Amino acid sequence: MNDVIADPGQPQSTPLPAKKSPRGEVFIYATWCKGCHICVEFCPPRVLAMNADENHPRIVAPEKCTACHFCDTHCPDLAIVVRKLD
Amino acid sequence: MPVKLMQGNDAISWGAIAAGCRFYAGYPITPSTEVAEILSRELPRLGGKFIQMEDEIASMAAIIGARVGGVKSMTATSGPGFSLMQENIGYAAMTEIPCVVVNVQRLGPSTGQPTAASQGDVMQARWGTHGDHPIIALSPISVRNAFDLTVKAFDFSERYRTPVILLADEIVGHMREPVELPDFKTIRIFEHKVTESPATYKAFRNTPDGVPPLAPFGVGYRYHITGLFHDEVGFPTQRLDEIDPWLERVNTKFDAHLDDILLTASDEQPGAKVAFLSYGASARTARHAMKLARARGTKVDLLTLFTIWPFPEAQVEALGDRVDRIIVPEMNLGQLAYEVERIVGRKKVKRVVRANGEMVTPQMVLDAMEA
Amino acid sequence: MDDQHIYDAQDLQHDEGQLPPENWFDRSETLQKLRKNKKFPTIWCSGCGIGVVMGALIRAIDHLDLDIDKVALVAGIGCTARMPVYMDFNTLHTTHGRALAFATGLKIARPDMKVIAIMGDGDALAIGGNHFIHAARRNLGITALVVNNAIYGMTGGQYSPTTPLGARATTAPYGNVEPPFPICDLAIAAGASYVARSTVYHALELDKFLAEAIAKDGFSVVEAVSYCHTTFGRLNKLGTAADMMRSLKDNSIAKTALDRLTPEEQAASTRIVRGKFVDTERPQYTQVYSNLITRVQEMKNDQKDG
Repeated sequence: MNDVIADPGQPQSTPLPAKKSPRGEVFIYATWCKGCHICVEFCPPRVLAMNADENHPRIVAPEKCTACHFCDTHCPDLAIVVRKLD
Repeated sequence: MPVKLMQGNDAISWGAIAAGCRFYAGYPITPSTEVAEILSRELPRLGGKFIQMEDEIASMAAIIGARVGGVKSMTATSGPGFSLMQENIGYAAMTEIPCVVVNVQRLGPSTGQPTAASQGDVMQARWGTHGDHPIIALSPISVRNAFDLTVKAFDFSERYRTPVILLADEIVGHMREPVELPDFKTIRIFEHKVTESPATYKAFRNTPDGVPPLAPFGVGYRYHITGLFHDEVGFPTQRLDEIDPWLERVNTKFDAHLDDILLTASDEQPGAKVAFLSYGASARTARHAMKLARARGTKVDLLTLFTIWPFPEAQVEALGDRVDRIIVPEMNLGQLAYEVERIVGRKKVKRVVRANGEMVTPQMVLDAMEA
Repeated sequence: MDDQHIYDAQDLQHDEGQLPPENWFDRSETLQKLRKNKKFPTIWCSGCGIGVVMGALIRAIDHLDLDIDKVALVAGIGCTARMPVYMDFNTLHTTHGRALAFATGLKIARPDMKVIAIMGDGDALAIGGNHFIHAARRNLGITALVVNNAIYGMTGGQYSPTTPLGARATTAPYGNVEPPFPICDLAIAAGASYVARSTVYHALELDKFLAEAIAKDGFSVVEAVSYCHTTFGRLNKLGTAADMMRSLKDNSIAKTALDRLTPEEQAASTRIVRGKFVDTERPQYTQVYSNLITRVQEMKNDQKDG
């Protein structure tokens, strides 16, 4: 949300800032997942959503992951892991 | 060692020490309390550990926990405490953790008479805990015998990975006799050696000899022990192809070793047609009655059982083939006689019983013989 | 669907667990402490808080960098007690209520080991209540992890000593008439040197308390408040696992925050209080006994044998 708004009367001298890259990479071991939804419901940026047959989550917005680690510290099945990206 | 006057309970304590017991957890109860008192004094002198737990259930649990950690352990109690220990005795049988449980039997049922003797826990020793499981129980007849059988109890518990009950009674526990104990350095107890690497070790492997080597916790074998039915690795299972082999192995693991386990003493007179069969304090009654009978010219065989469980079926069957009558004196209403009857038939067995705290007298045995 | 990030077994048998791909355990430190030869998924219901506690426990042990050969987990019976089998330590699954008694024997025999007793509320406080107070009294170097979901879950939802007054359970069809125990107060009164409580929502706080408790040389108690949505939740209409997880967040309060309220507000609060209540130094049992052995052996050297 920190877009720089160039003065309309001047040509743009600085480029617009790049979109924030994901801070974490999410891995799901679906066979261990029992589909409890906790990770989906509590993920603050809504990276995850349950798939069509509600078995395990899909990673619908990987770019939004902030590596807050809520999901992997609250998954009862240790079926989701977040790796912090540099 | 010098000759000393000591109680049966003293001898049991020294037997434990000689066998390498270095952990005792127990709860005071007449007539076993001396064992706790002696070990509370002696164990720390040897770097061993004593603790008085909050109850007998905790005592039994603690001795199993100690052996899991690799330290040989024992507890001592009497009837009411023995009843409390049953669940955890079953746990030790299920997990095959060696330990020794001394039961200095007193008159029951219930609170009964704490200072009176009985042999009323014979069946409880065999079947006190739920489910099918094997057990070893030994009954001493004298102070020196109490020492020897305590040592044997430790050896059997380690060698066969089983809890062993030392089924003593208030008479042998509290009587005093002069004994010369052997040099403790000559005592040898089976030691488990695990040579396998942790990667392949299976604490409950169905080995051909029936007893897999036992590794203690804390030395690199990070395995699981549970009272649930388990596979060879120790994980819980509900698969019949894992439960059935366990049942087969554990319930037959003593069978190939009965020569070692079944301790009996036979005093035969060729031509005898009657025999006295006994154990524990009542064995003294039987022996005295035998001497009296023989002095009067009656030929009598005497079979003394030191191992009560597994029941010495072959020895008793052989006795039944030799004689017409077997007289079984005991301080209960016929718990061991029941087994004798099962082997040789009820017609051959005469029970001479007393369950009121008094010893069966030699005269009662002779009267039964005459009748 | 991002194929590289979701591992799925195609031919999974109905009753078989599955071992993950080789590098799964490398994904995180936490996962490396799981037993590689044990079948997963775990036995617990979908969404059960016990799994969250297990994660916190493993992280705590990781933070302390303990030698895994010297860690022993001793459990009683119940859903919580099913935890140890999944972890790569020395694990002892005992009889109902007796974890602390077995742990006592193990710790005394092996003071070199870190012994952690893992129990549910019924296991630790009902049938195990006596052993709980005596282990605390002795100040044995054992950590008691009590997962409190206020119900007997494994057997289908009977009330326990921590079930709230009025709540429904299968053996309280008209509402529970027994007041619950406060686990932490009991532990403090019995003499524990470290007592703390958190919830499975506050998993990172739980992990911090567990690390402190395990590092403590003395009897330490960590109450991990959880939920059983399958029995208690269903009988009392409390929603899904995620709903009950959210309730733990909404219905708890940090001790530091509670202390800032007025006495009237504090008395009126029905929230679960999270925090560290006691952290003291008291002589630890195995050390005291070791001193006794030294003293006795010195006496022996001064005396003729009797």
